[in-house]
Amino acid sequence: MTTLQEIGTRLGGGRQLTAQDSEAVVASRDLLGLGALADDCRRGRHGDRVTFVRVQEIPVDTVEAGDIEMLPAAGEARISGRIPERGQAVRAVQRVVSAAGSIPVTGFALDDLAETSGWKPHAIVDVLAALKDAGLSCVAEARVERLPGPEWLEAASRAGLPIARLTVGEPAGDAGGVELIRRVAAWGGALAHVHAFAPLARALPAQPTTGYRDLRQVALARLLADNVDSIQVDWSLYGPKLAQVALIFGASDVDAVSPDDGWLGARRAPLAEIIRNVRASALVPVERNGRFELVQT
Amino acid sequence: MTVPPIDIAAGKVAAGARLTRDDAIALYRHAPTHQLGRLADLVRARKHPDGVVTYIVDRNVNYTNVCVARCNFCAFYREVGSPDGYVLGFDEIFSKIDETIELGGVQLLLQGGHNPDLPLTWYEDLFRAVKQRYPDFKLHALSPPEVVHLSRLSQLPVRAVLERLIAAGMDSIPGGGAEILVDRVRRLLNCYSKASASEWLGVMETAHELGLRTTATMMYGSVEHPEERIDHLLRLREVQDRTGGFTAFITWSYQPPNTELGGSEATGVEYLRTLAIARLVLDNFDNLQASWVTQGGKLGQLSLTFGANDMGSVMIEENVVRAAGAAYCMDEVEITRNVEDAGFEARRRNMHYEILGEPFFRRHAVPRFTALDVAREEGDAHVPPELDRYPARSRAGKLRQLPAAKATR
Repeated sequence: MTTLQEIGTRLGGGRQLTAQDSEAVVASRDLLGLGALADDCRRGRHGDRVTFVRVQEIPVDTVEAGDIEMLPAAGEARISGRIPERGQAVRAVQRVVSAAGSIPVTGFALDDLAETSGWKPHAIVDVLAALKDAGLSCVAEARVERLPGPEWLEAASRAGLPIARLTVGEPAGDAGGVELIRRVAAWGGALAHVHAFAPLARALPAQPTTGYRDLRQVALARLLADNVDSIQVDWSLYGPKLAQVALIFGASDVDAVSPDDGWLGARRAPLAEIIRNVRASALVPVERNGRFELVQT
Repeated sequence: MTVPPIDIAAGKVAAGARLTRDDAIALYRHAPTHQLGRLADLVRARKHPDGVVTYIVDRNVNYTNVCVARCNFCAFYREVGSPDGYVLGFDEIFSKIDETIELGGVQLLLQGGHNPDLPLTWYEDLFRAVKQRYPDFKLHALSPPEVVHLSRLSQLPVRAVLERLIAAGMDSIPGGGAEILVDRVRRLLNCYSKASASEWLGVMETAHELGLRTTATMMYGSVEHPEERIDHLLRLREVQDRTGGFTAFITWSYQPPNTELGGSEATGVEYLRTLAIARLVLDNFDNLQASWVTQGGKLGQLSLTFGANDMGSVMIEENVVRAAGAAYCMDEVEITRNVEDAGFEARRRNMHYEILGEPFFRRHAVPRFTALDVAREEGDAHVPPELDRYPARSRAGKLRQLPAAKATR
């Protein structure tokens, strides 16, 4: 059996994982070994840098209800929720873009849009083009388990709309989670316009996952899905402690930091907290916006 | 070519040699987190090659929140005379013991504020009453600052206080109140007066001489420097070299919400690094506990990779950390699931780390719980009747004991 150390030596020499290496990392129960390997891999791509984004979520059903009040610290205005039809989606984007000013607007899930378009590739290209014309900067997510194949990502690419991140919607268990990572890895170059992959499920399972399983999933995502630039963790969904530790297990981008500085004062505001946590991991925090452009903080 | 200090220190760990202060500081400050974890895991595996992770079923009971110490990092205490102040009655404590035994529990972790209206005889009577009703049930009771407080209140030496408490039924001493065992830090935290570093260590050393086993703790992340955390560990190591009386070490991060000191909490990575360096410096301690109650279940589980071999206590009840905003909960089922998921075998233990058996819930029907209990329901301000048997020292206590005040209760 190939050891993690041997794999590390090969990766350090600039080589890619072989199929045998992939089997070895998936079979390994050495969490620290996997973490160290994934961390090396992450540092090879991004050095010490960790990007984060402050996101203001705007539920789609509230967009038409009234004025949209943007928080000035937001780096991304994200329209969340399902839309029943194309016209409503376009109007929602236009309204949010008008309120957001220079803040990039993202929104929707590619799989939802595909479903609304009857899973017809040409129809979804039209929808995406219309959303782009309305001012959408990125499709907010594409749920891996709901996409039949990479052609839907290629459709977004044809429409000129990048996908902010691949996500896992429903918990798939340990083995299921690895299968989803392998699926992402197998989509190869179709991910050219996908910025990040968030491998931890967004819906809470009946029984909570464990720290071991979460970090293993993050590390395996970094090691196996070398066709994605960044592995992402969600600050608000997984909490600062686990999200911070994930940064030394392969993650390089932090999603969903709150733009609301609240009433706790500057020392405990979300911005101070994310910066403190990244630095405490011996990494360098860099804020980005919804278009994945770096911004000055 | 010069060998980098962290490589020298790592080499010592691999060879089973003792770390110096400089070695420990080099590793704590500069070693990559994975390397620190790897070294701590190596030492854990050496000390516990059987792949067993232990835990205890016991209950954290805080018998009073009234305290004259006024530590500025504490969100739990209430001043003497505060309407929110409470003292638990003996009957309330008996009920808590009954509930604990139903869940397979074997002891109470009994700690509280420095309440001037509770003399040494109150503790003796409580311990005797517990032992009379529950002869096999253990009392892991009174941290060193509480013992110092009783010594001052009773004007007896620490040794005499401990002898009387042991005679009444105290079985072991929890390591609370250590914070950072450096007096510069203790003065800043306003806890020097409750017990200086030497007083804290002195109580433990005396207890060990009297045959008691105790635990040791460290609360980091308030105002101390990293070097002072290392100094804390070295002071514990020195005592342990002399007495061998510490059974375990537990570290947790300062919890700022609702405290006078305020500030922000140390991060998860800092917790794992601190735990790991403790495992490496405390080479004469067998057991390190995970502090899931301050770090959450996920980091609690990850602690098992960073040097911990014990998941601490099921707790059942917790009041101090909760007052500072942390509300994590793991019952026995959840602790066992996390231990096994990390590849270890879960075993129940007692305070002496003797294995008591497999998880209790596997052989008995026990209720699940998703939130830790509290000392008392909010708004319950009743005064236990037996308190009138003990002469109060505070003005508020004396007023409460006036006949007119008693008649209105």
